[in-house]
Amino acid sequence: MADKNYYTIDPEGKLTCLKCRCKLQKDKAKFLYLDNGFPVELPVCPRCGFVYVPEELALGKVLAVEKALEDK
Amino acid sequence: MKIEERASTHVYRQRQMLSKEDLEARESLCVHEQPAYCNAACPLKLDVKAMTAAIAAGDFDRALALYEKITPFPQLLSAGCEAPCEQSCKLCSLGEGISIRALESAALTWGKKSRGMSFLRKKPAAVGIFGGDLMTLFLAGELVKKRYPVHFYCAENDPRALVEHCVPGFSPEIVQSTAKILAAMDIQFHWNTDPAAAFRQAEQPLRAASYAVAASVFPGLEPDEALMVSRPQKLITGRTQGILGAAYGAKKAALSIDRMAQKLDPGSTRGEEGAVETKLYTSLDGVRPSSRIPVADRDSAIAEARRCIQCRCDECIKGCAYLQHYQKFPRILTREIYNNVSIIMGDHMMNKPINACALCGQCSVLCPNGYDMGEICRIARENMVFTGKMPLAPHEFALMDMLFSNEEAFLCRPQPGFDQCRYVFFPGCQATAIAPATVRSAYLDLCARLPGGVALMLGCCGAICHWAGRYELTGQTRRFLQACLADLGNPAIIAGCPTCKKELAEFTGLEVHGFWQLLEQIGLPDKACPVPRPVALHDACGARGDSGTQKSIRRIAAALGCQVADTPYSGDEAPCCGYGGLTQYTNREVARKMTEKCLERSDLPYLSYCMACRDRFAREGRESFHLLELVYGTAADHCPDISVKRYNRLGLKQQLLKELWNEEVISVDLGFTIDYTPEAEALMDDRMILKSDVIQVFQHLRETGEAICDSETGLYITRAREGNVTFWVKYRETDTGYLVVSAYSHRMKVVNRQ
Ligand code: SF4
Ligand code: SF4
Ligand code: SF4
Ligand SMILES: [Zn+2]
Repeated sequence: MADKNYYTIDPEGKLTCLKCRCKLQKDKAKFLYLDNGFPVELPVCPRCGFVYVPEELALGKVLAVEKALEDK
Repeated sequence: MKIEERASTHVYRQRQMLSKEDLEARESLCVHEQPAYCNAACPLKLDVKAMTAAIAAGDFDRALALYEKITPFPQLLSAGCEAPCEQSCKLCSLGEGISIRALESAALTWGKKSRGMSFLRKKPAAVGIFGGDLMTLFLAGELVKKRYPVHFYCAENDPRALVEHCVPGFSPEIVQSTAKILAAMDIQFHWNTDPAAAFRQAEQPLRAASYAVAASVFPGLEPDEALMVSRPQKLITGRTQGILGAAYGAKKAALSIDRMAQKLDPGSTRGEEGAVETKLYTSLDGVRPSSRIPVADRDSAIAEARRCIQCRCDECIKGCAYLQHYQKFPRILTREIYNNVSIIMGDHMMNKPINACALCGQCSVLCPNGYDMGEICRIARENMVFTGKMPLAPHEFALMDMLFSNEEAFLCRPQPGFDQCRYVFFPGCQATAIAPATVRSAYLDLCARLPGGVALMLGCCGAICHWAGRYELTGQTRRFLQACLADLGNPAIIAGCPTCKKELAEFTGLEVHGFWQLLEQIGLPDKACPVPRPVALHDACGARGDSGTQKSIRRIAAALGCQVADTPYSGDEAPCCGYGGLTQYTNREVARKMTEKCLERSDLPYLSYCMACRDRFAREGRESFHLLELVYGTAADHCPDISVKRYNRLGLKQQLLKELWNEEVISVDLGFTIDYTPEAEALMDDRMILKSDVIQVFQHLRETGEAICDSETGLYITRAREGNVTFWVKYRETDTGYLVVSAYSHRMKVVNRQ
């Protein structure tokens, strides 16, 4: 997989993990769908690894990529 | 039962969706691309329809360009053409056909000639023409167009005399203009020559120098008129009749010269020539008979051209919002679907159209040849499921909904007090989802009034998976229902929905009645609620071809006092409401257009006998009722959202279990409450997120404590993966649980990466 990141989202310090009580940070994550993978950088809890997918991203880019893959 | 997502976008199985022969047989039913009647009748292949359209639009230049394409001597042809096209004009069957010849001459009079340039290179082989007659005159023109060097031997001494000799009896103007064109042509004339003598002299040397030779008919030549060739002499000649015959003969001759110049047999692979039989169908519905308008000036020519109805077949498209949306005729759509389904890797551009058809069969009724586009789309879906190319996403919600109907909300019981029943009532998944109270009334009524006992089966008939092309699931579902029916002793089925009736009849082998047919037997119940109003009756696509049902519904509507207004496209021709074929799930835009297409037929309230139609019409803001609502005086829910639809099915089951079979269903207490803002509810309905999905997300939250807080909005956000989907919920905490503010989902899985 090429080391290209499909999207990068910085939490800018406003998101906190409720379980670990620490701030989410920009970190490496990956979307997987139908045997395809897309490296991304998303807000992630440094302790438990909770990856946050914001609403705009889910309904925008993620949906568009899903649809494109579904018709492959 | 389980529905599997396909594993990969890279691994496919292969199978043809139709054999080549089957594909061609189906495609050949569509006559949309057949030539218009006028065009078919013209041996010179004038595009009369396009010429008429150009004139109707005031574009005489284009009309002239079309006309000049077919002949080197347009004035001459137009003056004397026998015009078989005029008798073939479709309008003749109604009133007077179009004055095509008058329009041709209008094009000549008011059209400006474009200075077209020929970029063809001059051909190496020259042609000698011996003797002027009508055919050789046209032939000379045809050959000049094809860029053959032409030698013309004739007894006359100038172009005017030659034309006069070839076309006796024409007006001086026509002779003059034709001579002018002839004189300007790149032809080497050999005036004042005896053509027969020149022919005899020149024959051998010309032939040796690979000249083609064309002669007007001298004694001793034996022409094959079909090719305009005299085979023994290996030269071009033939007898023709009239102006059109000569012009056509010249075309055939020029083609033979082409073949001979390439040293090929003039008789083989010539392509389609001359007038043809057309299989076109053109409806004259709504066309008034009209008479010819004498063409005296531009305006009257335009007016005459505007009478032309531009013959074509678009019967299917006129009725179907789906075909209108994609702006494609079934034949073309079929070919594109076929090709796309066969692609191994890459983008499957036709998935959307394949999944957007309502599979309603309206086209098969509207088409003069019965073209069934829906069947093609259904076959394509099954093929894609088999090969592993069908994405689950477009159909997953509907399929899960079906599983819900046939698992959690499924109910199958004999009538209390009966071991075996004569009947089983099968109201269908949409009726129970949208009008549970009506279904309850109907069942209680049947139990009370039908002798022999009426069992109840709440579930889905399997239409959903059948439409989705999930043939394995369809098989499983059908076997499951058959087993349940067998447990009941295979009673006669009373279907509450025309689609259920059709599906159940297809695979159960049992007697299947429509609810309405039983009602006609036992009469309307006391609480029937007459509606002495005009209504538009919408026939369900499930009842297409079922005239018994259509008639029965009309009789009941009349008995209820409804004044049923006739709408266009009713009965077998009815369009689908947008639910059929799962269009509602796969393509909301097309589904909506389908609903609008149904509703554009009348401004009246709509009476239907399929609950899905009833619901979709209400959602478009139309007053809408299902026949059973009137029969039992109980209203359906008004536009229930997707969660209510599930709740209704489950609720009805629990209510009837308690009421009739004394079985109390113990509902599990969640231990917390979930409230929704109205915005969240609307949004969830739109995003196809169920309240049961949200419950699972909160249960996951309570087990794991996984959530985040957004300090900017003050909202908590959590998520859970259920099956193929990750659901996210934004919420606030309340004293007893949660208030949902928003919810969204995605299908991609997200994981950490090092
Ligand atoms: S109705 Fe449609 S499918 Fe049938 S011949 Fe006409 S254009 Fe073709
Ligand atoms: S109505 Fe127009 S298109 Fe149809 S046959 Fe006549 S001239 Fe041709
Ligand atoms: S939506 Fe109905 S009428 Fe239109 S193409 Fe499909 S099956 Fe035919
Ligand atoms: Zn954490």
